[in-house]
Amino acid sequence: MTALRAPLAAVTSGLDLQTSFTTTLQGIGLTPATAHLLWLPLPMLLVLVAAVVGVLVNVWLERKISAAVQQRIGPEYAGALGVLQPLADGLKLLFKEDIIPARADGLLFTLGPVLVLIPVILSWLVVPFGQHLLISDVGIGVFLWIALSSIQPIGLLMSGYASNNKYSLLGGLRAAAQSISYEIPLALAVLAVVMMSNSLSTIDIVNQQSGAGILSWNIWRQPVGFLIFWICALAECERLPFDLPEAEEELVAGYQTEYAGMKFALFYLGSYINLVLSALLVAVLYLGGWGFPIPVEWLAGALGQSVDAPVVQVITGSLGIVMTVLKAYLLVFIAILLRWTLPRVRIDQLLDLGWKFLLPIALVNLLVTAGLKLAFPAFFGG
Amino acid sequence: MTIASWTQWICFVALSAGVVIGSLGVVLLPNIVYSAFLLGGVFLSVAGLYLMLNASFVAAAQVLVYVGAVNVLILFAIMLVNKKETLAEIPGLPLRRLLSGGVCAGLFLLLLRVDVTTPWAVPGPSPVGNDATIRIGIHLFSDYLLPFELASVLLLMAMIGAIVLARRDVFTVDVITGEDVDQALIEKMRTPLLVETTPTQNPALEATR
Amino acid sequence: MIIPLGALSTLFAEAAPAAALPPGLGITALQLNAGAIAPESAILIALLVCLLVDLAGEEAASRWVPPICYAGLGTALVLLALQWNAPVEPSFLGSFLADNLAVAFRAVVAASTLLSLLISWRYVEQSGTPVGEYAAILLAATLGAMFLCGATDLVSIFVALETLSVSSYLLSGYMKRDARSGEAALKYLLVGSAAAAVFLYGASLLYGLTGGSTGLEAVGLALQTSATPVTALALVFVLATVAFKIAAVPFHQWTPDVYEGSPTPVVAFLSVGSKTAGFALALRLLVGCFESFDAQWKVLFTVLAVLSMTLGNVVALAQTSMKRMLAYSSIGQAGFVMIGLVCGTEEGFAAMVLYMAAYLFMNLGAFACIILFSLRTGSDRISDYAGLYQKDPLITLGLSLCLLSLGGIPPMLGFFGKIYLFFAGWADHQYLLVVVGLITSVVSIYYYISVIKMMVVKEPQEASDVVKAYPPITWNLTGMQPLRAALVACVLITAVGGVLSNPLFNWANGAVAGTPMLQQAIASGALSSAVG
Repeated sequence: MTALRAPLAAVTSGLDLQTSFTTTLQGIGLTPATAHLLWLPLPMLLVLVAAVVGVLVNVWLERKISAAVQQRIGPEYAGALGVLQPLADGLKLLFKEDIIPARADGLLFTLGPVLVLIPVILSWLVVPFGQHLLISDVGIGVFLWIALSSIQPIGLLMSGYASNNKYSLLGGLRAAAQSISYEIPLALAVLAVVMMSNSLSTIDIVNQQSGAGILSWNIWRQPVGFLIFWICALAECERLPFDLPEAEEELVAGYQTEYAGMKFALFYLGSYINLVLSALLVAVLYLGGWGFPIPVEWLAGALGQSVDAPVVQVITGSLGIVMTVLKAYLLVFIAILLRWTLPRVRIDQLLDLGWKFLLPIALVNLLVTAGLKLAFPAFFGG
Repeated sequence: MTIASWTQWICFVALSAGVVIGSLGVVLLPNIVYSAFLLGGVFLSVAGLYLMLNASFVAAAQVLVYVGAVNVLILFAIMLVNKKETLAEIPGLPLRRLLSGGVCAGLFLLLLRVDVTTPWAVPGPSPVGNDATIRIGIHLFSDYLLPFELASVLLLMAMIGAIVLARRDVFTVDVITGEDVDQALIEKMRTPLLVETTPTQNPALEATR
Repeated sequence: MIIPLGALSTLFAEAAPAAALPPGLGITALQLNAGAIAPESAILIALLVCLLVDLAGEEAASRWVPPICYAGLGTALVLLALQWNAPVEPSFLGSFLADNLAVAFRAVVAASTLLSLLISWRYVEQSGTPVGEYAAILLAATLGAMFLCGATDLVSIFVALETLSVSSYLLSGYMKRDARSGEAALKYLLVGSAAAAVFLYGASLLYGLTGGSTGLEAVGLALQTSATPVTALALVFVLATVAFKIAAVPFHQWTPDVYEGSPTPVVAFLSVGSKTAGFALALRLLVGCFESFDAQWKVLFTVLAVLSMTLGNVVALAQTSMKRMLAYSSIGQAGFVMIGLVCGTEEGFAAMVLYMAAYLFMNLGAFACIILFSLRTGSDRISDYAGLYQKDPLITLGLSLCLLSLGGIPPMLGFFGKIYLFFAGWADHQYLLVVVGLITSVVSIYYYISVIKMMVVKEPQEASDVVKAYPPITWNLTGMQPLRAALVACVLITAVGGVLSNPLFNWANGAVAGTPMLQQAIASGALSSAVG
């Protein structure tokens, strides 16, 4: 937890909410330590709210887009265009009876969903929305996300085991196997990006792509890595075509079979937060993060404004947030479209794809990146 | 004490309690699944301790390797073979437990004494924080190059060995003589170790040959 | 591909110093001095080629894997010979040291692998297990053992130890359809992992004492200035690991079960190659690092040696299985070698090296014979050897000579090795060890000779059922010729090597003379005894 307490990056340029907040508080007579203490919970709370709101948007999108794909209308009565439908869903889950099956292991049954959700939310620590707009610029950045995402299978195994139901256990085992298999190519794809930016920090990774707007985004330099990462991210989120752990034709609902009420909602929340998180990280790693397709410096220069002017800074900061969210939701849209158009793979096909195809390709991609970095240091990060 | 050092202290106590109580649980709990889950908790607490020592890379690696891989593997193994089996009673179990407890307590006292009497070089080297990742990389490719490369041979061999032991396709004939083989020691047993529950060969099949 | 001992020793003796290194090595030898691990590189290349060839299918593997292994190990032995008496420079920034001691022990390890492979092809084929992977895993074990012989920092030692151990676990469980093999692998894995954990704990204490360095030299320096309980604890932990690796009593419990359940050629490697690496580790750690605790570890090792010699040889009397008997006998043999370690004199170290080399040939010769017998009869019970003289004179002669040599009967190689050890012990006033050694030698001669008596003296009508149904002797199957070559070579060296053992003596003395670490220990030992 000390990572959370680590101070934000030192002031260099751009919007820095923390410094302005603490200086304001110190202005009204508080000590720096107290000001810092008051600041600490704010970004966490903000991110938590952002994550949950993101899920609500996500659920609405899922319903509307799936309806559009199947030429239906989808939810329409709760609010305009049914925008309040996810809220209604959430309320329903909140008021449902919390059932623990008679022969289940109560403690593990309760702990499982919590263990699934916490690492996902913790991973938001490293997602940047601007130069200083993240909770903590920990030096190990994306590595922290990879490490945290490896805790999730334990929660899945736990709930699968505790349900005392063979479908649940099978679902949990499948989830863990899938998560382990796809973590390796995922990490290797990330490693190629890290190799180019010489840093694990998400901020450095975005900054390395900010030279020439859309042209300098990593997707052009890492097309294979991008595809590997996206496939693996979908598998890690257990989205169709990789939703084998909860394949309803085979396993009822996998590890979620026995869950109801708020505990089920935690799984639901976890999987959607994870989807948004993965989309955000794809945006950060391959699509230039908060960068606008045309560098903001050029635009400001064309309009005759200084980049350091306060107004420009506020606009740049807002633009950064909008761009990051926009890119992420574009990817979420693709994921939803994939879900409602593709059939599910079989478990052996899934593992074959991971171990026999993605893993070697990811290794080759890493090797080629290293070679290119040595050959063209100007383009692939010297 | 400042707020920062108070938080440090509270975190340290919580994590240490997690490690100690968790590992006691791993050893003492009769339910092996609980032990395995607690082991994951112990690994996580150790990662937290690393984090408090400003070694964030090692902490993340600890989580990735021990929680994400080793512990999941252990759980997998337990859940795939978790057969309810009544084991034979071990004679004199309480006495044995007492003895092993005594040995452990003795070892603990010994370690405690060693810890108190040794003039440790405090404070140790100053933490390098985020530069640790770079430092680890430099070490791996300079003075620890040989073990690093040898570890790749070790891992390759462990992987190949695991595949050989686990794969199902077995040769049923000797490739040179064409005789039947059974992938067992050449020195055959006179008295079987395990009582055969099913006949190895189907008599009906024998008859049709 | 058998390199006769005479040729081997002349190679060692005539090899010029560093200037004679092959030209290709000069490029890699920048500041890393990577030429020091050239022999290991040859083995690594052979390992990888084996794995690649194995992709082509089992038939291609059984044809091509043996020559590849011979080439790799042969090259390694030649490169080792070229390293003999080369100027000692630490390589890999202090992770590895190719002094004469390391070269000698690595040569013994590589030769033991070569011989084990020669005697294993037919065994592996006949049991129906894949050959390519078998060879690759055995080569990896060799690699670990060889690196262990020369490693000079704690991390390298640990990784090399684990490479050796993990490969050994895999090999002992290689006959996967056999419950005994599975049991052996599981027992070995559990005990071995515990030993590795203990070593790691001890190593972490040593690391803490140096204040941030893992090199053995730094550890030695730190130990000289600190005489606290923590060093005693570290000593005990490290000693336990070494004792586990060389299977000294009371750290021997895994040996009989593992030896009985593992494939016999693997046992041959474990009893020689793995043990040799263990002794090299003992020398590096105890003589090199714990020099200031000389008296303490010598007392501990005296106890271990006495226990090993007594228990190993006495329990071997009661065995009915040949493999189990050799397991206990190997525990006893390790006890004899420990006499040399406890002496700490020039003669003591030289006798250790000599005995390891002699043990290599006599033990592998014995294993070649019992593998041949079990291939033909499917049995390893001692009573089944009754009357074998009538049916298979070669096995009878070979096994008799090797067992006599293991027992230390005069003109054999083992006699000279043993007598050299006892002389060294007597000269260093280790009377207890020598007396126990002599008595237990007599015990060992009893059970070795009872096997020979079983084979030779029994009348044809008293022969065991197995021998009565003995198959006709053929050598035409693939893998039988290498087995015969290894058997004949080992038996010849065991029988004749004793009489012509002068080059071997010179070699063993050279190994000690060309090792700065040992010379330093000998000098300080002489100084302290002169003062005392």
